[in-house]
Amino acid sequence: MLSKITISCAPHIGQPLSTRRIMVDVIIGLVPVMAAAGYYFRIRAPILIGTCVVASVVTEWLCNLLRKGTNSVGDFSAVVTGIILALSLPPGFPVWGAVIGSVFSIAVGKMVFGGLGANIFNPAMVGRAFLTASFGVLMTTWTVPATIKGVKMSRIAPENVVDARTQATPLAWSKLAIKQKYGANRYSEENFKATVTGEVGGCLGETCVIALLIGGVYLLIRGTIKFHIPLAVLVSAFIFAAIAYLGNSYRYVQPLFHLTSGGLLLGAFFIATDPVTAPLTVKGKWIYGVGIGVMTMLIRIAGEYPEGVMYAVLLMNSVTPLIDRLCKPTPAGGKPRA
Amino acid sequence: MKVESKGRFRRGSASPRLITFRGGTHPPQSKELTRDREIRPGPEVKEVAIMLSQHIGAACQPIVREGNMVQAGQKIGDSDAFVSAPVHSPITGKVKEIGLRSHAVLGRSPAIVVEAYAYNPVKRPSFKIEDFDESKYSSGQICEAVRQAGIVGMGGAGFPTRVKIEPSPETPKKTLIINGCECEPYITCDYRIMLEWTDQIIAGIKLARKACGCSEIFIGIEDNKPEAIEALDSALKRTPNCENIKIVSVKTKYPQGGERQLIKAILKKNVPTGGIPPMIGVLVANVATVAAIAEAVVCNWPLTHRVVTVTGDAIANPGNYYVPIGTSVEDLIGFCGGVTKKSAKVIIGGPMMGIAIADLKTPITKTAGAITILTKEQVGKKLERLQTPCIHCGKCLEVCPENLVPTKIAHAVKNNLWEVAENYYISACNECGCCSYVCPANIELTGYIRTGKIFLARQKKLMPA
Repeated sequence: MLSKITISCAPHIGQPLSTRRIMVDVIIGLVPVMAAAGYYFRIRAPILIGTCVVASVVTEWLCNLLRKGTNSVGDFSAVVTGIILALSLPPGFPVWGAVIGSVFSIAVGKMVFGGLGANIFNPAMVGRAFLTASFGVLMTTWTVPATIKGVKMSRIAPENVVDARTQATPLAWSKLAIKQKYGANRYSEENFKATVTGEVGGCLGETCVIALLIGGVYLLIRGTIKFHIPLAVLVSAFIFAAIAYLGNSYRYVQPLFHLTSGGLLLGAFFIATDPVTAPLTVKGKWIYGVGIGVMTMLIRIAGEYPEGVMYAVLLMNSVTPLIDRLCKPTPAGGKPRA
Repeated sequence: MKVESKGRFRRGSASPRLITFRGGTHPPQSKELTRDREIRPGPEVKEVAIMLSQHIGAACQPIVREGNMVQAGQKIGDSDAFVSAPVHSPITGKVKEIGLRSHAVLGRSPAIVVEAYAYNPVKRPSFKIEDFDESKYSSGQICEAVRQAGIVGMGGAGFPTRVKIEPSPETPKKTLIINGCECEPYITCDYRIMLEWTDQIIAGIKLARKACGCSEIFIGIEDNKPEAIEALDSALKRTPNCENIKIVSVKTKYPQGGERQLIKAILKKNVPTGGIPPMIGVLVANVATVAAIAEAVVCNWPLTHRVVTVTGDAIANPGNYYVPIGTSVEDLIGFCGGVTKKSAKVIIGGPMMGIAIADLKTPITKTAGAITILTKEQVGKKLERLQTPCIHCGKCLEVCPENLVPTKIAHAVKNNLWEVAENYYISACNECGCCSYVCPANIELTGYIRTGKIFLARQKKLMPA
């Protein structure tokens, strides 16, 4: 009975939570978002999500084969990357493009750095940035949600807007407002409800605020993510937008409208909270979150693009090691006397 | 009962905050296996192996020869060094051998093996609180008795108690904290001592108070032991001259029984990094240690036995036993009915900080509070060697009671980046194991940090600055 005892260092017990469990939790948190995508964009949602997930997993598997290392497909991080990439693509994006994006995400975004835990940038955002740079038109061609009656599910470009509900995206509209001094204020008031329910144009997973909040709250309750980053992103973006709105309410839309439209919530709950590319310390997480919020709003209000979450996340990813160095915690007993 | 005790024993007024420290974790307690088992006499052993180094400081030199006869309680090893503690034979018999035996921490190290000569019942010296009067003893007498009895910190560290309690002009001690937390899962020896040897503990506290000249005394007990709090509280009420002894019910959280964490919880003070409690005028002693002080001073009996919790799902008769120091783990397991299930690990101590041993002939030392035998299921994922990459989830930072960045230190050690490891205060780690316990990637963070500390210590020895 005592013939085979093991020795190893303490502690000899561990809590059951594993990396895989964390990834499964993120996938569960994304289920309401995927469901909303399926509701508004019908068959496009399963096609894009399925394509991205399969392409990501296969890419990871092949990269592991090339690296001759242990196979890391089982940790499900590639699945998460695939889903998030799919959710941040326009619903009408072609399947071949999604495959290219997924391959780039995993191969260049993650595996060249050494796999999970070693990447500097959020892999899904790397893939999306690559697609934006390569296929600019496809990445800004939007689909009208299938639930809007009387309009066929068709692709429309910002130029030929039919009416307020079949516009490109809410943010493209507010961008036009900034540029042409259009009646942005009125627009946002009319469409605020649609941005909450998700009955607007936009990327696959970013339109339905309710689904994003459900998923985000699930992750917070499970302890998979901490509240610091989402709160910092949302509050800083809100304050930035509020200052702009108070300064010129004719050109700029209401601050709450900025939170509910575009990828801000998807980014705050599911993309910025990617632990690998976010700072370790609580103080660092605040700085990182505020950085993303402010950067996003800077791009939205003062930049050329209507949406800025992706670039904001990538820019803050690049300074994460610096933030970590800046926010090194002091030991409980103070700094040791040399 | 539990909630009530929290309120009643809180120091100060109606502060809603629980008395605790920052960080920490909640491993399953698993104390129900032995918490209701009374302390019973341990095995009547035929042979004991007394390790010559059972404490921090200089190892003892044997003062007996092979073939000598020794009496129970006779000193058999001693050292001239200030930081050291002598060792005694718990049984009457013949010195069979002075040779190497397995030590849980030090590996093969010298020990005196005593073979029982005659009938050697396991008996505690009788202690009567009625006859006890601390004014009979002077501070110097107490310190000398503690030194002669070879008492060391019995909570696990094994620091010679005399060195601790002796007053020193450079660091005057004001506060004495008695540690009855026992935060380590499975272990119940201190809990049983608090219930059964209550008067002896109080006598020991009074003696320690007299020796070190502390003016305020706190007994810190986790709030999952309301019976122990109750027992000590009623004993304090019926004993005269206990006005400055207060019981503090602290939050049940691992590692609440860590010296630094307990001081933080009770006094809201931090011990300086790399420093020791006397620097802020504090002294911490375990309940088993103060019980031993009472035995040493009043009964003039050295530290030859201790209470050991033998526990784990795999053991037939788990319980708390009064065991002669030097008994081999094997004998003790046999005495408890042996193992019934397939076991994976035999640990001296508890599952969080204990040391897994390979040699079952390893003797019990003064600091071994428990033998924990874990089954494969209980060890769980820690049995798998698979470590996945760190995903920077930050859980180790959350639980670190010393507010360190365990993942950075561990990875620095892994990659031989010693400067980085020191930059992240590797030496401030108290090796409590919380980071390894919570790590979802199953990385042995504590193991890496411990390795790094040993390496750096060796490097400094080779190249003194």
